[in-house]
Order: sequence, then C-alpha cells, then structure tokens
Amino acid sequence: MPKVKAAIYWCSSCGGCDESIVDLGERILAVRELVDFVFWPCAMDPKLSDVEALADGEIVVSLINGAIRTSEQEEMSKLLRRKSQLVVAFGSCACTGGIPALANLKSKASIFDRSYLHSPTNVNPDGVVPMEHSKTAEGYPMELPAFYDTVYQLDDVIDVDYYLPGCSPNGDMVFAALSAILSGKLPPKGSVLLPDVALCQSCDRNATKPETLTITEFKRLIHVQADPTQCFLNQGILCMGPATRSGCGYPCIQGNMPCTGCMGPVGSKDQGARMLSALGGVMEGESEEQIAKALDGIPDPAGTFYRYSMSSSFLGSKRKEVKP
Amino acid sequence: MTEKTTLFLCRCGTNVADFVDLEALEAWAKTNAGVDHVYTHDFLCAPAGKEFIETTLKEQGSKRAVMAACSPKLHLKTFEDCATRVGLNPAQMSMANIREQCAWVTPDKTQATLKARSLIQAALNRSVLQVDLPSQHVECKTDMVVIGGGIAGIEAALQAAEAGRKVTIFEKEISLGGEMIKVEDLAPMSECAPCLLAPRLSAIRENPNITVVSGATVTDVLGFFGQFTVIARKKARFVTDACIGCEACFEPCPVDMQSEFHLGMGTHKAIYTLFPGSVPSAAAIDQEHCLHFQGNECQACIENCPFSAIDFAQKEEIVEVQCGAVIVAIGAEVYTPKDLPRMGLNGKSNVFTYAEFERLTCSNGPTQAKLQMRNGTVPQSIAVLHCAGSLCSDGLSYCSGVCCVNAIMAGEIIRKQIPEAVVYNIHDRIVFPGAEAEHFLQHQIQAGTRMIACKNLEQVKIAEQANGKINVTIPGQEPLCVDMVVLSTGFHLGDKAKQFASILNVELDPHGFFKSDHPILNSTGSVLDGIALAGSCLQPSHAVQSVTMAQAAVGRALSRLVPGRTIELETMISNINPDICAGCKMCISSCPYKAIRFDQEKKSSTINEAICRGCGTCAATCPSNAITARHFTNEQLLAEVKGVLHG
Amino acid sequence: MANFEPSIVAFVCNWCSYGGADSAGGQKLAYPANVRLVRVMCSGRIDPEHVVAAFREGADGVMVMGCHPGNCHYRNGNHKTLRRFRLFERMLFQFGIDKDRFMLEWVSAGEGQKFQEVTMAMTERVRNLGPLVISGSVAQEISHA
Repeated sequence: MPKVKAAIYWCSSCGGCDESIVDLGERILAVRELVDFVFWPCAMDPKLSDVEALADGEIVVSLINGAIRTSEQEEMSKLLRRKSQLVVAFGSCACTGGIPALANLKSKASIFDRSYLHSPTNVNPDGVVPMEHSKTAEGYPMELPAFYDTVYQLDDVIDVDYYLPGCSPNGDMVFAALSAILSGKLPPKGSVLLPDVALCQSCDRNATKPETLTITEFKRLIHVQADPTQCFLNQGILCMGPATRSGCGYPCIQGNMPCTGCMGPVGSKDQGARMLSALGGVMEGESEEQIAKALDGIPDPAGTFYRYSMSSSFLGSKRKEVKP
Repeated sequence: MTEKTTLFLCRCGTNVADFVDLEALEAWAKTNAGVDHVYTHDFLCAPAGKEFIETTLKEQGSKRAVMAACSPKLHLKTFEDCATRVGLNPAQMSMANIREQCAWVTPDKTQATLKARSLIQAALNRSVLQVDLPSQHVECKTDMVVIGGGIAGIEAALQAAEAGRKVTIFEKEISLGGEMIKVEDLAPMSECAPCLLAPRLSAIRENPNITVVSGATVTDVLGFFGQFTVIARKKARFVTDACIGCEACFEPCPVDMQSEFHLGMGTHKAIYTLFPGSVPSAAAIDQEHCLHFQGNECQACIENCPFSAIDFAQKEEIVEVQCGAVIVAIGAEVYTPKDLPRMGLNGKSNVFTYAEFERLTCSNGPTQAKLQMRNGTVPQSIAVLHCAGSLCSDGLSYCSGVCCVNAIMAGEIIRKQIPEAVVYNIHDRIVFPGAEAEHFLQHQIQAGTRMIACKNLEQVKIAEQANGKINVTIPGQEPLCVDMVVLSTGFHLGDKAKQFASILNVELDPHGFFKSDHPILNSTGSVLDGIALAGSCLQPSHAVQSVTMAQAAVGRALSRLVPGRTIELETMISNINPDICAGCKMCISSCPYKAIRFDQEKKSSTINEAICRGCGTCAATCPSNAITARHFTNEQLLAEVKGVLHG
Repeated sequence: MANFEPSIVAFVCNWCSYGGADSAGGQKLAYPANVRLVRVMCSGRIDPEHVVAAFREGADGVMVMGCHPGNCHYRNGNHKTLRRFRLFERMLFQFGIDKDRFMLEWVSAGEGQKFQEVTMAMTERVRNLGPLVISGSVAQEISHA
C-alpha cells in the first residue's frame, strides 16, 4: 500500500512542535511505515520547488505549526493548502497565535526600534532596519519577506480542517491525531482534535477545590511554594485550567506548576475574557482599595490570560469575527 | 423560511408620535426582512389597544411580537398577558423602549427616529432568538417552622397555628420565653411581663398544632420557599415528657451550679427548670455538672421522682421537619461592656447591667424581685448610665434604640420597692419617641428621677471605692457617689447568631443584624424567599415591635402559602450543559443564592431551578460558557448589540 | 475629528440603572442619542466578552451600569461586576485603549439626573477620542512607557 504523503512546516515557530513528532517515541517507526514526509524543513532537505511540483491535493495532510508574521509564512501556508487534502493547525501558535502573538501588545515600530535600534547590544549608527527591498553594496537586489504589523493565526490566512493545540502537543496527542487522520475516523471539519471540555474535569486536584472558593489575593509563584496536593486557585495561585481545553494529561500540574493555558480556550474564542470573568466571580474584595490590592497580584493580565491565544482575541488581533 | 416578527408601534397619544417619525418607521418596517406585519396604534396599553393586539396576533397567526412603546418595566407584563391570552408563550413578546429612552430624551426628531429604529432592530434581532420559557410550579408545604421561642417566636407560632397550620418551634434553651421571661416590667410603660406571657405560654402548650422542640440547635435549612427541610440537633435532657416540673428532685440533688438564667447571680441544681410554670414543663439535667455523668453512682433525682421521668440513657436526637416557610426569631444578645475598664463592671462590685437589674427585680429572679446589693442590703442611691458601651469606638458604634426607654423605666421600677431611693439618669440625647413618651418621662422626673445631661458619656468613669460605694465621674459635672450603678447597654448579635446567618446564607447589615429584603416594603423578609425575620435579630426591639414583626412575617407567609395553591417559579433562570461543564465549580462560588451544587458522580454542576433567581452571574462566570442564562443568552445579547449599532 | 459621532452601547441592569434611564425619560432629561441601551436583569450578567463584542461590532465606547454596591437586587451581582471590570480596565490599558472608552457606573432607579450626567460625559469623552481603531497590535491612543 502506498505511503500517505504528509508535510510539516514551521511558520513563526520555536521548533518545539517539530520536535513533538519525535516525542512519538518508538511509535515513530509505525508512523514511518505509513507516512512519507515529502516536505519538512526542520528535519529534511526538500526544496520549495519540490512542493510546487506536486499536484494539488497530492499531500494528504499538512501539519503546519507556528504563527503567521511574515509574507513568506503566509505564502507557504497558502501553497501547502493548495497541495493538501487536509491541513491541521498544529500547536498553539498555529491555532491561536501562541507566544509569538504576544507581540500584538506592541507595535511593529516599537519592536523594530527595540530589536534593531535600541537594544543594549545594538551598534547601529545608521539606523538600518530590515527592508523588503534593498540592494547590496555591489548593487544586487535583495528581498526579505514582509514583516506584518500583526501576528496572525493559521486560519486567518487559509482554511483549516483541524486544530491540535498545545505548546507543544505531546506524543500521545500527536499519535492520536495521526491515527485519526490515517484511519479516516475524524470529527466534523473545523473541529479541535481534543475534548471540548476544560482542564478541571480531568485534573485530580479539582476535588480539593471547594464549592465556596474565594480568592482574597493572587499569589505569584516567585513568592510562594505551591502545595502539591491542593487546587492552585484554592491557594490563590492563578491557574488557567478552568478556561483551558483538556486533553494534554495536565503534565504541568503534575509538575506542581499551574496551567498557563497553552491548549487554548474552550467554549469561546476569547480565553482571556472568560478567565477574567470567572476570576471576577470568585475573588473577594468589597472596596476599591481591597480590589485594587488583590488585582495587583496579577501584574500582567493581558499576557497572563492571552499567553497562547492573543491572535484569537478581538482586542489583540485583526479578527472581526470571533464566533466559536 | 426566515422567522418573522409582528411589530406594533405605539403613538402613546402624542408622547411618542410628536418626537419620533412613526410613519417613517412604519415604512422602514414594511421593508424589513424580519417583520411580517407592522401596525401603528394610539394606545396599545388601553383596553382597545390590548384587544387590537390580541385580535391581530390571532388573525395573523403571529409567532412573536415586538411592541415599540414605553418601558418594559411599565407594560411588559401587560403585553405578555395579551400574548398568553392568544396562546403564545410570554417569552415571545418583547419591547423596544422608544418612549422613556428615546422620544422623551432626544429633542431632535431625526436623531430620535434613527435611535428608535436601532432599538427596534435590536428587539427584532433578539426576537427570533427567543425561545418559549415553560412556566413551572411547585407544590408548597403550608406548615411553618419558627426558630427561637422568645416573644416573637411565640406570637408567630400562635398566629400560624390559628390559621390551621402545623408549627414547630425550635428553641435552644430548655424552655420557651427568650428574654421576656427574665423581665418583670415591659417597656415602654412598665407593663407586667409575666401577666402577658403566662397565658401565651399556656396557649402554646394547649395548641395541638404547635410542637415545641427545646434544647435544639438548628444546623441546616435546606430547600427553598414552599419546600424547606429544617434539621436540628436536640440535646438530651435526660428527663422525659412525663415530668410535670413538680421540683421534687431539686432539693435532693447534691450539685449546685451557676445559673445562666440568673446571669451568674444565683444558682440552681444540676437538675433544674428555668422557672416554675415553664413550657415545656420538663426539667433538664446539666450533663457537665451532674455527678452521674462524672462516674458517680448518684441517683438522688431518680429516687425522688414520683413519675419515673428521669432517663440517664436518653440520647441526642436529630430532628427533621418539612415546612413551607421559616420564621427566624432568634433574638439578640445584651451587650456587656466587661472589657471597658471605665464601666467598672467586674461581677463583684455593685455595678450591674440593665439585664442584671431586670433579674434582680423579677419575681422569678435570684432574689424574688428584691432589689439588693451584692451583700444583700437595699440600695438608697442608684445611678443609671445611658448609652453604656454604645456610640463609642470601643463598644457598639450604633444606637440600639431601646436602652433609653429601659433606663427611664428603671426609676419607676426602683421606686416601686424603694420609694425613698435617689435615682440619677446620666444621659445625652434621649431616644424615646411617641406621644406617650414625654408624658412618661416627665412623670419619672416629677417622681424624683434626676436627669443629668452630659455631652461626653464616653468619658464617664465608674469606679468602686474601698468602702464599696461607687464613684461616678461625669465630665463637666459634680461627681456622684452612689450605692449602685445600672448600665443601660445596647444589643448585638453574638457569634452563634452570625454563624447561623451564614448557615442560612442570609446577609447581615453593616451593624451585624439580619438584613431585611427591603427596609420599607419587606422589612420582615430576609433576602431569601420564604425565610422571614422577626424580633431583635432584625433590630433591637421591645416586645411591642417584636410582636408586630412576628405577626407581619406570619401574615406574609400565610398569604403566599395557601393550601391547594402552587408556587410559580422564576422562568428566566439559568441552566448548565453537562456535556460542556468541566466541573470547575467556579459558578457555585459565584451564585448569590447557593442555587448550584456539584454532582460528585457526574463531576459537573447543576442548578436548582426552584432557587435560581435568574441573575445570570453564573453564566458570566463560567470559564467555558457552559451555562445558558435563559432569555438573556449570549446570542440574544449579541443580536441586540448588533441591532443598536447597525439598525 | 470633524463631525464624528461616537456609537456607545450601555449595558444596564433592569432593577436600578434601566430604571434610572426611565427616570431620566420621565423627567425629560435629554442625553445624546449616541447612547443605546441593552437591558439585562443584573449587571453581574455582563462579562468582558460582551463588552468586547460591542467594540467589535462598532461601538466606540461601552458602558456597564448597575445598582450601587450593597443594593443589588440579586444581593451581590454588582460586586462581581466591579471586580471583573476593574481587572478588565487594567487589561484595556495594556491593549493601548483609552480608559475613557469604557465606563462602569452605578445608577439607581431614581437617579435620572445622574444617568443624564454620566451618559453626556461619556459621549463627550469618546467624541474627543475619535473612532476606536483595533489594528491588530497595541492601539496608539495612550502612550506606554
């Protein structure tokens, strides 16, 4: 039986999602029996022209990770879309923007200023910044991809069939996703390949969360030692679990670290608004002073609540429609 | 087929018509894809208007309607009733407020018309997303539970029983009477308390509808209006109902103990009643003091009991009662300023609180109503301090409203038995309202009470001298040297009462008393439907106010819990989708009514539809949007937002 | 900005602030037609997603109004509103959106005059700010350090 053609591409990415394929462990051997990776820049050397030479739809599935920040990433995503039957937004960045999308809290101008002009280690007296079109000293034309003024997620630029969030998805999640794709047992198009329920359902610390949870102050991990048996919220430590999709096996919590929300929102596209609203419903504080004091324990609400999902929110993206 | 709405525009005479171009709106509506028919009428709320609405809805076969008219707070119910009469669910009727919130506040007619259009569009958008809200009814129990057997509780029970309802009184003491049983003279005019109370206690005993459970502490009030379960722990008293209170066992009992009933100023035996003629009449054994329970073989009481009413093997019981309404009448505690050195109150000097003074002048008190000092002699000079421990930063911050009356009455009580006594009342402002009050006060002054006005009562110092007399230093005045001082103190709710409030999930007001639902329209209701409040737990009260509140509370309960009638539940409530709910429990914490509980087996939360009031805060809290707030869903709200912005 | 008329959505609670708006109407206290109301039973029903949805649909300013703390018809729904939106305001700042575009206010059913004052003030402030622009990166309305 001929092997299934697959592609893996990285956009604005750290490489962790590519590594997560290796997290399959020995299962990679089984995958290798069935799958032929025709394009995987992180691990192999096929060129752009190899992809262009394929027929439309010849690739059965493309796993595209990383957020979209440059025109090259958009072009490659569109190319792979044409050549693929299925496209999976692989990892938090492709699904909801991930860490790169936090850059939406800054302007492109301020980012360039910081990176190329005024970082402590810059020596750039001529104030040179990357340009899409320039010439070398010898007069040769140079082109760089355009740097967009906002970080997009994959479905902002192409039609996505399935989503596999996680930063990065772990070996079990990858294996389950690949198995579903290879066997054809897939949910409706547009689904996330993981349960539509928040993390608390599977977390074994949820039993310790009381029905009368009240948070009087938010404690930061640099200040306290978390009790490894208690629900984090019950200890006043911010855990994004209630507003985050389950399916990861909650390794962070088992490592005595609260969930930071990498599996993205559930039941809504706006993870931050949901978590913010939930916290408002359970935190204490009657007077403005008490509330302000408690909220001082969350010094970076935008970064905390939208850590992996900024490009999925309205305020932090160019998205007009954010229907779930 | 697109769902459509029938639109009615109300001219409201000239109220809307003069400020909004209704013709233009009607023309617009005729081309609006969401409208099947549009009608303009002069007064939709008038009888002719309502008839027009009903006829039209029936003839057109309308599924839903929007009334562009006045405020829903005024007439939504009117129009919902029209809908119901033609067989439509009331949820299919909604309104656009183009009068109070448009015509009346927008002078420019063009702007007003544009705004009206957007408000109507919002209502139309919402209209097609509205679903029928089924009305639900619950059977209600008509019996009542009264918690607290003081005068308020007693009156509540008697009134409810008279209407034929079964009433259970839970009382923490071994018998009924509350504070009033410890008093001889009732404020404001020195009414005879025992004369008033004794027949009421007999009435309780004789009434087959009333059950008294004494020595009981209520631990839970579960359920909701019409279907409460009240659970109490009944202490063992080791004496059965066969006991008639003959007191034959008292003398033989070898153990004397401090009497709380006498506020520590007297003793009783380890087997005791509070006073002769108590209801229930049975005595009780104090387990901590009785020798039998310390391992001794003492059977003195058993040997002397003619009725074999003593049972050392009696066990604590859990009592559960189903009822429709609960009346909480647990009273308040006397505030005792023991920790304020300037009060000189140490239990040894002749400085007494007013409550102790009442015991010393009450026929069932430790001295059989003989007012005497600690050494048994009769005082010749008594100073009564108003606002003792009240209106000060180190005591109660508020005025209890009842203590001035007591303080003024003290003179009359004292002179009844010690006519030659000199009585001083040290006071600031006098809180004693009413037509009779001034008359009573003047009478006391004429009879000999010397009123000493002092602007800084907080600086009054009371100190016992070596010879036993009491020195009272009053700023700006000559000091007094008297035999006895009576501190007229205020009232507060003790810790147990406050804990009970949190068991009930009922709020306390800023001064720590039970908070009423509405200060004017429902002063005897708590914030929870079906749990009423009466007496001093609401605010410090004299008997007259306690009785009035009790009667009001029972009156309200009787009018709503009628045998054969069901209670209609709120329809715009919330519900949780168990497939989405992750069981994070954050909604439970946010619910003001504790209407949500966690199902351990399903590992998800569920809302009790009978308790939910439809505020929607749980829906806002839910971090995975698993909760639908009926009639105010996210989709409906978004549709309205789109309408007001793009309409 | 010449001739710019802001669109303002106000979420109001049925028992107090909606009544306050009706009171303003009864007393014929005019306020700008820019302000359009969406009624809910309790301000505690409103969460930041609704406010953000209003911005997304084109609102230049959003108001949330409820009962004064201590007077909520549903005991303490407005307390939750207060906590939610104080946190939301801090987040709005991080997105570079001027705080004048969002206002949380307490208006009781009898406070027609206050309703008029706050809606007029809100409209004026947002008019001065100009239209809200959500551009995909931090808004340029306020300067961050």
